[in-house]
Amino acid sequence: MEDTGLSAPQILIIDDEVSILDGCKQALEKSGYTVITTSDGPEGIRLAWEKRPDLIFVDLKMPSCSGMDIIELISKDMPDIVLIVITGYASIVSAVEAMKKGAYDYLPKPFTPDQIRAVTKRGIEHRSLKIEADWLREEKERMQKSFITFVSHEMRSPLVTIQQYIESLKLIASDRFTQDMKNIIDRCEKRLQNLQDLVEHWLDLARIENGTFSEAKVPLVLSSIIERSIEELTPLCQRRDLKLEAHIVDSLPNIMGDQESLLRVFTNIIGNATKYTPAGGKITVSTHSDDYYVYAGISDTGIGIPQDKLPFIFEPFFRVKGKEERQRGSGLGLTFVQKIMEAHDGKIEVTSQVDVGTTFMLKFPRLYEL
Amino acid sequence: MDLKKKILLIDDDQDFLMATKLILEKGGYEVFLAEDGKSGVDMAKSVSPDLAIIDMMMETWSEGFNVVSKLRTSDSGKQIPLIMLSAVDLQGPYQSFEPPGELPTVDLVLHKPIKSDDLLKFVGQLLR
Repeated sequence: MEDTGLSAPQILIIDDEVSILDGCKQALEKSGYTVITTSDGPEGIRLAWEKRPDLIFVDLKMPSCSGMDIIELISKDMPDIVLIVITGYASIVSAVEAMKKGAYDYLPKPFTPDQIRAVTKRGIEHRSLKIEADWLREEKERMQKSFITFVSHEMRSPLVTIQQYIESLKLIASDRFTQDMKNIIDRCEKRLQNLQDLVEHWLDLARIENGTFSEAKVPLVLSSIIERSIEELTPLCQRRDLKLEAHIVDSLPNIMGDQESLLRVFTNIIGNATKYTPAGGKITVSTHSDDYYVYAGISDTGIGIPQDKLPFIFEPFFRVKGKEERQRGSGLGLTFVQKIMEAHDGKIEVTSQVDVGTTFMLKFPRLYEL
Repeated sequence: MDLKKKILLIDDDQDFLMATKLILEKGGYEVFLAEDGKSGVDMAKSVSPDLAIIDMMMETWSEGFNVVSKLRTSDSGKQIPLIMLSAVDLQGPYQSFEPPGELPTVDLVLHKPIKSDDLLKFVGQLLR
């Protein structure tokens, strides 16, 4: 017989005629099935509960209880089990009724061993297909629900593992590395880091889109977030010989916002500025407010963005200049920033002049607490 | 001869186990590997490690916490330092990773990938 799983399919036969039970048992056991039999209806139901067979044959006409009732009960309580009725009085009508109540097939008496084997094979195949279909459907639902979590794990794991291998390689063999080898490993690490940033940014966007990006909006004052972002980026600016300054007005009004995503908004924009500002330049963060809005501006003395490119800078993967390594990012940073600003009922505007610099202006509705 | 300190490493990623094992062995430790939570707990009983490093996301995203709970209530794991590894930044905006109730305590949480120097430094500190 065909292999349908780990163990032989189990068949339960419920029929009041002992000779039929014996005949069926023999025919099916020869084909490798495990067979249990009973001539008593209620005992059959009990066995179905206890043994959970793959397939049950039920004689429709038994003295102790109606086969039709057994069909109805089992198909309702144990829908995974394939039910096949044995009809003594070759009645199509009763077979149709049984199938309406949940039977999958019927077997008219008298039947040959080959006939019961064929019906059984078909029933077992039907069950395997049904189980597979159910599994696929559940799997699909599960995938959809946890798609982001799943993808993030599946995408991060190999990246992390490659990075860990490089770490171990450096530790166990770095004393034997030539300069060329070291350079290769450096390049690998840089490219891996880029890929990891891309994954993280893509995940953030996917989370925003499917609504699982968590935002815990609380009343907050932008100054603290700007201070944190400046603290975070000062080392980078020092390395690139850039001045990073903040001009934050005292008593800036509160806004409603999510600390972590707003921090990323600022680190993103300031990070961008470091990429497009030549050494010796300056990046300035300043704030002000009016009756309706709180504003935060990030200005640089960088290479600027041509007017005709400005409308596109929030598009995913758009790059003003992209050949140089220094400019390489995920290509999703500003898209993320814009989405976060939208989620804050805010606005982001950009003005720029080539070779003079660029200013990003963030505008948040100010919070009036009653 | 000095007896090497024993470290048990539990992670469902074979390659990650191998990479981390190489680092720890270079650091002079004897390393035992387990690829899932259950065999990790069993192995803790049989080898009595001096320290265990457990990945948070294995069969389920929080399997690592189950392992920690089991180790913390077993004789072999009650006293030893435990390090939890995580590939997600739990500080970040990832609240879809809501912890299932109160989390068992570990001595240290490290974010993957881990710099060799950091790993050896932290392990050294915890084993002192």
